[in-house]
Amino acid sequence: MTTAGLHCEQLSRRVGDRLLLDGLNLSVAPGESLALLGPSGCGKTTTLRLLAGLDPVSGGRIRLDGQDVTHSPAGERQVAMVFQSYALYPHLSVLANLELGLEVRRVPAPERRQRIAEVLALLQLEGLERRRPAQLSGGQRQRVALARALLRQPRLMLLDEPMSNLDAQLRDQLRPELRALLHRAGHPVIHVTHDQQEAMGLADRIAVLESGVLQQVGTPQELYHRPANLFVARFLGRPGINLLAGEAGVQLGIRPEQLRLVESGGLPARLLRREWQGSQQLLWLDTSRGELLLLAEASLSPGEQLQVSWRPEDELRFSSASGERLA
Amino acid sequence: MTLLLLLPALALVLGVFLWPLLRYGWLSLQASSVLTGLVPMPNGGANWQRLLADARFWQDAAQTLRFAGLSLALELLLGLGLALLLHRPLPRRGLVRALVLLPWALPTTVMALGWRWILNDPFGPLNGLLQSLGLPAYGFLSQPASTWLFTVLADVWKTTPFVALLLLAGLQAIPSELEEALRLEGAGPWQRLRRLTLPLLAPYLLLTALFRLAQALGVFDLIQVLTGGGPASSTESLALYAYLNAMRFLDFGYAATLMLGMFALVLGLSALVLLTQALRRRLAEVTP
Repeated sequence: MTTAGLHCEQLSRRVGDRLLLDGLNLSVAPGESLALLGPSGCGKTTTLRLLAGLDPVSGGRIRLDGQDVTHSPAGERQVAMVFQSYALYPHLSVLANLELGLEVRRVPAPERRQRIAEVLALLQLEGLERRRPAQLSGGQRQRVALARALLRQPRLMLLDEPMSNLDAQLRDQLRPELRALLHRAGHPVIHVTHDQQEAMGLADRIAVLESGVLQQVGTPQELYHRPANLFVARFLGRPGINLLAGEAGVQLGIRPEQLRLVESGGLPARLLRREWQGSQQLLWLDTSRGELLLLAEASLSPGEQLQVSWRPEDELRFSSASGERLA
Repeated sequence: MTLLLLLPALALVLGVFLWPLLRYGWLSLQASSVLTGLVPMPNGGANWQRLLADARFWQDAAQTLRFAGLSLALELLLGLGLALLLHRPLPRRGLVRALVLLPWALPTTVMALGWRWILNDPFGPLNGLLQSLGLPAYGFLSQPASTWLFTVLADVWKTTPFVALLLLAGLQAIPSELEEALRLEGAGPWQRLRRLTLPLLAPYLLLTALFRLAQALGVFDLIQVLTGGGPASSTESLALYAYLNAMRFLDFGYAATLMLGMFALVLGLSALVLLTQALRRRLAEVTP
């Protein structure tokens, strides 16, 4: 096992008798980007705060580049964080926002100026040095927060919902830029999100959390095509996975895009309603095995009688009792 | 319609502020005392000439400024410390905050009577303490040179909780991520206070200072009960002097002049504080 990067073992956080995070094992290599994905209250922000040292750990260990930092104060971990609100100092100009941390760490003035000039150029913030945070757009604020985090020269970069304060169009535009930038910077990156599209677009691997328990870690493709359990299967993918009853004790999952309309020999279905989605239509079908969602290019009207089919190898099989995927 | 909606507020301002002010202005140009049978009679600017030459007015002005200055400085300092303490997560925080506020909730007269007893020479508890340590009793309220310090002490004791409450509201308005961000950058508690908390708290500090300054410059009840202005007028405030002129010497013309003199002082000082603040902000804008 390599020592570089982040390694957590059995990381837990308990407040009173509530277990917010239960025995998390996770490793992130330098240059790798991992998304913590889950619904609100699943423990993803808790994890981030434990890694940053903002909240005390109740159990387990955190190692950064081989050093045990489980109980180190936040300021000594060399961990940078981009907050959801960006947390720019409102009374300071962009320049002073970037400079404050360097001053606090007693970086000499010439080096300060040089390093700030570098990040300003990298993030295309030149010309905005004198502005206050309130005079910046959402995207500019995000870049300043990122610049400040990069100046920390972190051993671990944390991002808390970095895109949630931006509008959808800007998000699509910034996602690849941010991904490339973080890859180039070369430190391990963890970012928290509840948005699967953001997780897939930004991260090399995704860790899905639910109720403080890690459900699965893997590449976006692995999670999508081979989900460990029903929760992961349902959480990833939009429109959501179709679930239907299989043989005794088994639930079948089949993705909407893997269902086909066939002329004959399929499962009889009646079109309930449809939603136009640009290139395709999302169809709601009523069948003897339950309601199914299907993506099709055909133009159909509600009430039509159809037949659907799928390839057996596209079926995901889950245990009805435990929700675990069956091999 | 607009005027109609403004009317209640306008009536209030005119009724309780502007009208008395104008009335004082008029009265300050009258002789209105026992000598005139309390009938106002115009006397030119005689009251104002008297004010400018009145050594007791200037001495009281100096004493009032001294009292207000030291009280304000101590209250802001202690209040800030208390607010920072109360801002931290404490067990039973609500109860602690309520307890801290108690001195402020006490009526000034009651509080001043309490202090008068504590400082009593030789029977008060403080002198009891001194004597039990083998020290001689001290006349806390009978030393012209130092008694004013104990009026400040009583004022600080009563008003610090109020200052702390206002500043606590300011602290709670600062998002906690800002402090966390600075913590992650490696800043210690002192650096976070100096570089982040104090600058963001500045508007609240200013507001509190103005509030307290105006109140302290008009101090009356505390001094009246604790020392009566003595010994030898050494703790007499402007408000007390104006009150004596009106209620004891029955010289309403001169009392009105004194009140206006005090009003000018409060107004001038407040304007000065606001002006320096505006100047500071302007300077911060032109320098990076």
